Amino acid sequence: MKQSTVRKLISFGLLMVLVIGFSISSNYFLSSSNIFAIFRDASIVGIIGVGLTYVILTAGIDLSTGSMMALVGMVMANIYQYTLLPIWVMLLIGIAAGMTAGLFNGFIVTRLYLPEFIATLSTMGIYRALTYIIAIKKNGLITSQPMKTAAFVRLSGEIKGIYYVIIIFIIMVVIGQAILKYTRFGTNLYAVGSNIKAARLSGINTGRTRMTAYVIVGFCVAVATVFQTARMQCTTVLLGDGMEFNVIAAVVVGGCALDGGRGDVIGTLIGALFMAALNNGIYKFQINASYQLIIKGAIIIGIVVFDSWYNKKMEQASASRRIKEAVNEQ
Amino acid sequence: MSSEVILEAKNIYKSFSQVPVLQDVHLEVAKGEVHALMGENGAGKSTLIKILTGAYTKDQGSILWKGQEVEINSLKDCRQLGVSCIYQELSVIPVLTVAQNIYLGREPKIGKTGLIDHKRMNRMTQALIDQYNFPLHPKDTVGDLGIGLRQLTEILKGLSARSELLIMDEPTASLSGKEAEILFGIIESLKEKGFSVIYISHRLEEVYRLSDRLTILRDGKNKALLSRQEIEPLKMIQLMIGKEVDESEGSVKILTEKKESKTALKVEHLTCKGKFEDVSFTVQEGEIIGVGGLIGAGRTELVRCIYGADKYDSGAIYLHGKKFVPSSIRKSIKQGLGFVPEDRRGQGFIPLLSVKRNTALTNYDLIAKRALAITSKEELDMCLKAIRKMDIRPDDPDKPVGLLSGGNQQKVVLGKWLMRELKVLIVDEPTAGIDVGAKDEIYNLLRMLADNGVVVILVSSDLQELLRVSDRILVMRKGKIIKEFSEGTVTQADILEAASGLKEVRS
Amino acid sequence: MKRIKFERYSKVLLLLLFIAVLTILKPKSFPTVGNISNVLWSISVIGILVSGTVFPLLLGGIDLSIGSLMGLSACITVISIQKLNYANQSVFLGIGCAVIAGLVVGGFHGVVVTVFKVPPFLVTFATQSIVLGITQVLTNNKIISCLSPKLFTSIGLGRIGPFTFPIYLMLGIVLISYFVLNKTVFGRYVYAVGGNIEAARISGIDHQFVTVVSYMISGLTAAIGGVVLASMTQQGMASTGSGYETDVITAAVVGGVSLAGGEGKIQDAVIGAILVGLLNNGMNLVGVPSTNQGLIKGLVIIGAVALDVANKNDNKIRLFKAGKGVKKDV
Repeated sequence: MKQSTVRKLISFGLLMVLVIGFSISSNYFLSSSNIFAIFRDASIVGIIGVGLTYVILTAGIDLSTGSMMALVGMVMANIYQYTLLPIWVMLLIGIAAGMTAGLFNGFIVTRLYLPEFIATLSTMGIYRALTYIIAIKKNGLITSQPMKTAAFVRLSGEIKGIYYVIIIFIIMVVIGQAILKYTRFGTNLYAVGSNIKAARLSGINTGRTRMTAYVIVGFCVAVATVFQTARMQCTTVLLGDGMEFNVIAAVVVGGCALDGGRGDVIGTLIGALFMAALNNGIYKFQINASYQLIIKGAIIIGIVVFDSWYNKKMEQASASRRIKEAVNEQ
Repeated sequence: MSSEVILEAKNIYKSFSQVPVLQDVHLEVAKGEVHALMGENGAGKSTLIKILTGAYTKDQGSILWKGQEVEINSLKDCRQLGVSCIYQELSVIPVLTVAQNIYLGREPKIGKTGLIDHKRMNRMTQALIDQYNFPLHPKDTVGDLGIGLRQLTEILKGLSARSELLIMDEPTASLSGKEAEILFGIIESLKEKGFSVIYISHRLEEVYRLSDRLTILRDGKNKALLSRQEIEPLKMIQLMIGKEVDESEGSVKILTEKKESKTALKVEHLTCKGKFEDVSFTVQEGEIIGVGGLIGAGRTELVRCIYGADKYDSGAIYLHGKKFVPSSIRKSIKQGLGFVPEDRRGQGFIPLLSVKRNTALTNYDLIAKRALAITSKEELDMCLKAIRKMDIRPDDPDKPVGLLSGGNQQKVVLGKWLMRELKVLIVDEPTAGIDVGAKDEIYNLLRMLADNGVVVILVSSDLQELLRVSDRILVMRKGKIIKEFSEGTVTQADILEAASGLKEVRS
Repeated sequence: MKRIKFERYSKVLLLLLFIAVLTILKPKSFPTVGNISNVLWSISVIGILVSGTVFPLLLGGIDLSIGSLMGLSACITVISIQKLNYANQSVFLGIGCAVIAGLVVGGFHGVVVTVFKVPPFLVTFATQSIVLGITQVLTNNKIISCLSPKLFTSIGLGRIGPFTFPIYLMLGIVLISYFVLNKTVFGRYVYAVGGNIEAARISGIDHQFVTVVSYMISGLTAAIGGVVLASMTQQGMASTGSGYETDVITAAVVGGVSLAGGEGKIQDAVIGAILVGLLNNGMNLVGVPSTNQGLIKGLVIIGAVALDVANKNDNKIRLFKAGKGVKKDV
């Protein structure tokens, strides 16, 4: 069986262990309303995760997704507050804002040649600061910014219990995976992350590929922000605080390798569900939010260390197999 | 082989920093021909190929493709013409399938949707596989394949891009016997189909078997152009090495039995699966032992294991009679081993650091008074000593080694070892890319070390160098020591014959 | 050689220019005793931290956890003092435990980076979260004040001559760092491993040891910085030190430490620390709200790293051309 499939099964297995563990300790865990709640939470993280998967496949990273959310939210709030533009225009502008932020990230990385982590660490601060700068102040104070139009709030609704955001998430997963497996762009992502020199030699424009991945992240962040703010019926300057962490965790748990070339959107879906289920369970057990920080950090390190060990084992096995073949011939 | 010329390079001149590397070189390849390109290291083969593939620009001369003059300035130009080059560092993407690799960048799409048509891509790949009879499957992940099959994937990629000329640089260096056989079969069938191949190799039996014509370069100039009938092993060697008669100076060595001397190093049945097998030899104090062989013979792997840079599977090493297990490099150094790696820039020195820091790199146990603190003065003294001894230029201890010329960089690399009481010094291709003057200096140095009782293991592909410097010569082939020259006369031809297994060809 | 000297002079000039500009712009608030004190305080903390974090940076790695390590260290110290009734001995115990915590976390980083080949930014990014969570649990999310004993408060507030103690402490630590980096074998090894890890290994240098110790040093200075900060503010809370990692990295990069490793001097990093301290102070005086300062800081990092990368590419080309000589035929 392909290694990537095995890896996804492992993630899925972890998810099942978690689900079983929680459902044993609580009858409520597997109730349909709770399951949908988990899916809803997973959707926000997962939508961003689809984009981040692309970036990580190219051996890149984006630490600014949380701050991007806040910025997009505040841009939309400004439109909402100060103009009479219809809601759908506000949404479009929000999406444009997200993609612009992504474009800036891509620019710094591909044109100024900054290492990705420092570039997005910096933009993390920049976008958050920009959020504060454009925040609407009442008497010099920034408060949460209400966005209560029915048309907007409706986005947080549901159909037969399935929240719209979940539907959008599923759609994005399907499209995201299709792009990955059925378009040149998708193949290019794997090529760039796996062997950038060879990719260039084959005529792939590696700069453009990476830039596009960052813009897609911006798009995904914007979509997630739309649904998040619709549900909260407001936006705050603190929106998305810590989100970058959740998204990276989801992508990594789902099997994406940080050095690029391995992983896919389905894995991220599993990862997002895992993190959402984890958060949900922790919350229900009233475990301190602080423990969440500890657990999430530990999971990321644990998974990455496991992946590193696992891949080494696979390579050793493959190498010794080839040596055996060579030796047998002689 | 037809008479239609597909590629012609005429009057090619190329120099680097005023040093001529190619002078008035010609190469002509016909349609359906396997044209071999041979020459010793430094003869100019890879420079010529880099010019043909657009990596370098020629200073003078012209390149004609199917009679028309062309300019090749990049790999893209080269590909567009219909030339594919397969280097040793393969450019395949391990996580993708054979089909995906072959069509990377130009995948077939489904109508206007922009989606990749995997079914068609696999079918097209299978068609190519069938057409050329390659042992591949479109859906195999390249990462799971051995080097031989990866190479074939790359070749197939070139063919699918309608390449008419394939350039292969030492293709069998990392291949097993079986994989090489498959490759030869494919080359032969490609020939029949009208494809041309420029085949660069040191392995005489391969050239002997495959080529229609052979161009031999020596010292940057054309030495000979032989047709198939004229390809005769001994003649090839003589032309490459350059002396018509074996008895000219430099190509014959008379080995004398070393006087009573202690055995300093003994290697017994050293094995590292897949790299070298059952290697045994002894070296006396003060002896320089040369290790010859072709690329892929396992020489570098062997000496790295002796030094402790890599691990071996079984066998034993004895230093002055005592068993020596190279468990850590630090331990090896303390026991008196030194190593000058083949990859000078990647492993030999730290480019950003100064000459002073690089010469001290392995020697802080000698400089530091207490466990921690160093005095710059001691470091500087050591560096000045090294600069004097090795004649490093410029003689600035603070100059970053990355800014020195190749020869001086190597002197720095060697210099640090000279500051120690060495028992065994291993040098791997020590004079590659170094000018003649510096080469001589290094040879003298090695001789001087030997005269002081140090064992020198010299791994080299430069036959002249091996003969000139070594007291005895071992030749490795496919991971084993195939021949030991320890007495009587030995010529460059002898070494090359042993290294390339020509005896097998002749018999 | 000349080039490097020029760069340092230009940085010092920049420094003086900065001071001049600030004095002109805010003649009433900048050159006051109170303000200079503040600036010196922040410079001293940044200086202490950068003296240790420079080690992993020189290896080509990074330590993003120092901010939360400061918080942990501050809280451990303050809680110990509190629990032992503010006795003088409790101060030593508290500091001791904080230092041990810093060393342990640092050691963990080093091992994970060198044995499991996990990218440094990721493991330190993850532990940032874990440590923050632990600190929150430890303090129950409360602020713990600690106004005595004098032994403790004098660390941050004590005066010797015209300056407060932290400045002297910083100078001392900088000197130690300078000594280790320039006058010990270990320091030489750090530059060697950062410059070319494979060549260092072949030369018998134990790069794993060097890596682990370097990260431990970074953890150590973070712990010391936390103690100082706790003493200065006379309290400890989970968010103590939060955000310092950005300042420290900015100080290092502006000071010429290359993110790729192998290059950079502690003296220059200290100049960078002074610049960052002045920048922060300047922004405060001019009235840039703290929430917006991330914008300027982010742009500064991007600018500094972009310049560094451009310089290195320039150097690479120079080095490459110089080392060519005669082409070798292989």
